[in-house]
Amino acid sequence: MELAKISWISALGQAALLVMLGPLVTGVIQKIKARLQCRQGAGVTQPYRDLVKLFRKGTVQADTASPFFRIAPALVLGATLAAALLVPVIFAPVTSGAATLLPLGDALLLLGWLALARFLTAAAALDAGGAFGGMGASREMTVATLVEPALILVIFSVAVVAGTTDLGAIAGHPVAMRASFGASDLLALFAMLILLIAETGRIPVDNPDTHLELTMLHEGMLLEHSGPGLGCLVLANHTKQIVLMAFVQSLFFPFKAAGMDPLALALGLLAFLLGALALSVFLAVVESMYAKLRFFNLPQFLSVSLLSAFLAVALRLL
Amino acid sequence: MSIALASYLIGIIGSLLLLTMIVILEAGDLYRAIYTMAVQSFLIALAGAVLGSATGNIDLWVIAGLTLAVKVVALPWLLLMVIHRMRIHRKIEVLMPVTVTLAIAAAIVMLTFYLSSSLGSVTQVITGNALPIGISLMLIGILVMMSRRTALMQMVGLFASENGIFFTAMAVSQGMPLIIEIGVTLDVILGALVMGVIILRVKSSIGSDIADLDELKG
Repeated sequence: MELAKISWISALGQAALLVMLGPLVTGVIQKIKARLQCRQGAGVTQPYRDLVKLFRKGTVQADTASPFFRIAPALVLGATLAAALLVPVIFAPVTSGAATLLPLGDALLLLGWLALARFLTAAAALDAGGAFGGMGASREMTVATLVEPALILVIFSVAVVAGTTDLGAIAGHPVAMRASFGASDLLALFAMLILLIAETGRIPVDNPDTHLELTMLHEGMLLEHSGPGLGCLVLANHTKQIVLMAFVQSLFFPFKAAGMDPLALALGLLAFLLGALALSVFLAVVESMYAKLRFFNLPQFLSVSLLSAFLAVALRLL
Repeated sequence: MSIALASYLIGIIGSLLLLTMIVILEAGDLYRAIYTMAVQSFLIALAGAVLGSATGNIDLWVIAGLTLAVKVVALPWLLLMVIHRMRIHRKIEVLMPVTVTLAIAAAIVMLTFYLSSSLGSVTQVITGNALPIGISLMLIGILVMMSRRTALMQMVGLFASENGIFFTAMAVSQGMPLIIEIGVTLDVILGALVMGVIILRVKSSIGSDIADLDELKG
């Protein structure tokens, strides 16, 4: 009973932390990008201000939109928050094998929640009846079919060693049993970094900064939304980004607090923040170095991650 | 350096080698393919140094140095010079879609891992995965040579394939005798020079690429 209580508190607390820090990560990435382009850039808290502004505004929507369009942003945010509950951030008790403290769900369910959020976004974009929304939705779903199998393969390559797909158990796995950072982890990490770019909608795959190009994927789907609805979707996007960062860390660099000891929790938080910063720098540098790929070249780019994730699993099993 | 540490490092280098091979397969641009090939050769030299310090075999150090000088510096430089002299465009022309070659590469790796586990009697000095990784590097290099149109990319495939053979030889038998290694390296240099000269001559005298010679077949 006591244990279950702790795990619920820790899950809720970590999810709240992720939601709070999500916009900050976006702000940091934008700041680094601006500095790399020799611009001053907006402050790192700019995404918070944008959110506050959006939630204060009124809503305008297309005449053709159904009630579903109205509630879709809240559903998307809900699905993303559910995903945030599943990923360990600073606290992952050491477990032996399948026994787990967080009775909520595993890594595959996390991907399922994110896929649901993506589906709802795309459905709402189609519902509004705008041409851009429909195109963005079709492109987003095309990318999703390439990204999700690779993500699942990445999870499997780690889960084979840990013996479970539960993220808390993977992150809290005794280091000795994880057989240290091995050859197939490298391949899986490489695949995961490519997938992180694709999933967070960053430059070789998508351009998060523009609303005015025919090439946009995610932003195209948000065009018809306004006010608090748009705010929900933007917040969901920030949250998804930081959830994926926490996901990468708990798969490959699990430095989590094992108990409720304050010092250990502080160290876990520090490790998480450093990891998030490193991934932000990675995303910002990649975004500054590369041009956006043509949409029809994306399958080739993403199939590299599929292949290396596949090889990672193969190296584990054979 | 202990044998356990060496075999851990060789495992890491092996997976990095596979990674570079994937990047070479995927590269749509000659410069990236050539630089990646240089990185791959550097990893081979690194593997030679690791094995040399683990087994105390001086020959491996010599081979590592030779690889560093020839394959990391000289041959990429030669390829880049040929590109520069020919002023060709950088885009790689392919015979089959890149995604298909990637799928074939996945099949090759699976197959080599599966089949090499049946070679139970091969006593490997250092590590488990080095043999199948070496063999699959060699085969994927041949795949690159088969699936690309331009002669330069075929040369990159040849060098990558060569790297695979080196890696296999080093990991399985602590390296071939030094004299053979030097001979092989000389062969590669000679091959590269001949190819470079032929490409340049063909280009300068008839103004077309090697692949167009296919049309002369009677």
